[in-house]
Amino acid sequence: MPKSFSARAIVPVALAITGFVVVCCLLLYSVMKRDMTRDAVQHATNLADTIVKSTRYAMLKSDRETVGNIIRNIGDQQGVEHVRIFNKKGLVMFSAASDELNHFVDKKAEGCIGCHSGPEPITTLGKMDQARQFKNEKGRKVLAITAPVYNEPACYTAPCHIHNASQKVLGTLDIGLSQEPLQKTLITMGERMTVFTLMILALTIGGVAALLRRSVFVPLALLKSYAAELRHGNLETPPPPCEGELKEVAGTLQHMSKELRESRSRRE
Amino acid sequence: MTHNLENHVEGIASKPRNPDQLRQEIKSRIGKLQAAANHGLWALALFIAISTCALGDFSFFPSLPDEFQAMLGKPPSFNMISGALVLYSFSAIILILSRMMGGSGEGSPFPHVLYLAAFYGFYHFAKGLDENFWAVFAAGITVLGLESYRIWTYCNDEIRKEQERLVELERKRAFWSDDESR
Repeated sequence: MPKSFSARAIVPVALAITGFVVVCCLLLYSVMKRDMTRDAVQHATNLADTIVKSTRYAMLKSDRETVGNIIRNIGDQQGVEHVRIFNKKGLVMFSAASDELNHFVDKKAEGCIGCHSGPEPITTLGKMDQARQFKNEKGRKVLAITAPVYNEPACYTAPCHIHNASQKVLGTLDIGLSQEPLQKTLITMGERMTVFTLMILALTIGGVAALLRRSVFVPLALLKSYAAELRHGNLETPPPPCEGELKEVAGTLQHMSKELRESRSRRE
Repeated sequence: MTHNLENHVEGIASKPRNPDQLRQEIKSRIGKLQAAANHGLWALALFIAISTCALGDFSFFPSLPDEFQAMLGKPPSFNMISGALVLYSFSAIILILSRMMGGSGEGSPFPHVLYLAAFYGFYHFAKGLDENFWAVFAAGITVLGLESYRIWTYCNDEIRKEQERLVELERKRAFWSDDESR
C-alpha cells in the first residue's frame, strides 16, 4: 500500500482521469471512423450510380465498344482498384483488367457471398450492405461497391435485346476503390487524438499534482520537519509559514512545545 | 462484503467479551479483511478472462439460435451503446471516488464485471465489438482498477487499526497478568 500522502492522493485521480479520457477518445475515434467509412461508401455508391447511368445509353444501343471504353477509362483513374460489369450468370462482360473478360466471377468470393449465400440471390440491398472491405491480391485495402443493373421497360422492349420482362437484374457493376486515403486520414486523426489526449492528461494530472504540492505536500513536509525539530528538543524552532488548517496544527504544536518548555523550566 | 464486516464488528462491540474471545474475533476480522482486500484482483482477473473471450468475438461459444435472436429484437445502435458506456464509466468513477472520499467499505467489484460483460454482449449483437472492444476494455480496467485500489486501501487501513487493537489488547493483558503475579 502506498504510504506517502502524495501517492495516495495522486494515484486515484490519475487513474480516473486517464481511464475516462482514454475511453472517450477510443469511442470518439470509433464513431468518427464509422462516419468517415459511411461517407466513403456513399461516395463510392454515387460513383457506381454515375457509371451505371453513363453506360445506360450505350447498353441500350448494345454499343459494347463504348461501354468497354468507359469502363477502361474509369479503371485507369487513380484510386480505382477494379471496375467490371458482369451479367446475371456471373460472366464478366466488361472490365478495366482485360484478363478478367469472359471469365466467371467466383460467387463464393468475398463480396459475392453476401447476396449468394441462399438458394436465391438477394436482388435489393441497402447502401451499406452493398459495400465490402477486403485486401485485394496486391495487398491493398479496397472498398468495393456492387450496383445492380436493373431491367427496365426500355431494355426488354428494345428490338435488339433478348431480356424478358420477368428478369429483375440484368447484370452487376462492381467497382473497388483504394482505401489508402481513408486509412491515411484515420491514422493522422488517431495520432492527433493521441497527442491531444496526452496533452490533456499532462495538463490535468500535472495541474492537480502542482496544486496539491503547493497547497498540501510542501506545507505538510515543513510541518513534519517542525514536529521532528520539536521531538529532538529544539523547542525554540519557529513554526513553518502555513495557511488554513495546517496553520492551526502548527499553532497547536507551537503551543504544546511552549507548555512543555515551561513545564521543564518549572521542574528545574 | 466489507459492509457486512462493519456490521459484524459493530455487533461484536456491543457484547461483553473476555480478552481471549475478543482476540479471536479481531484475528477473524483481520482474516476476513485480508480476503476482502483481494476481491478487486479477483474481479480484474475475471474481467480479463471475459475480455479474452470478447477479443475473439466470443467465437468459442456457439451462436444463439435465430429464433432467440429474433425474440431479442433489433440490437441498439452503436451510438446508443457508446453513450451508455460513457455514462456508466462516468457514474461508476464518481461513485467509487465518493466512496473513497467518505472512507466507506461498501460495494463490491463483481457487479461492475457483470455490467462490462453486458457491454461486450451488446456490441457483439450489434456486430460492432471489433471496433469498440478497446473502449470497453479501457473502461473496465479503469473502473475495476479504481475499485480494487479503493477496497485494497480500505481493507489495509482497517487491518492496521485491528492490529493496533490487538497490540493494545496484548499490552493490557500483559499488564494485568503482571499485576496478578505480584
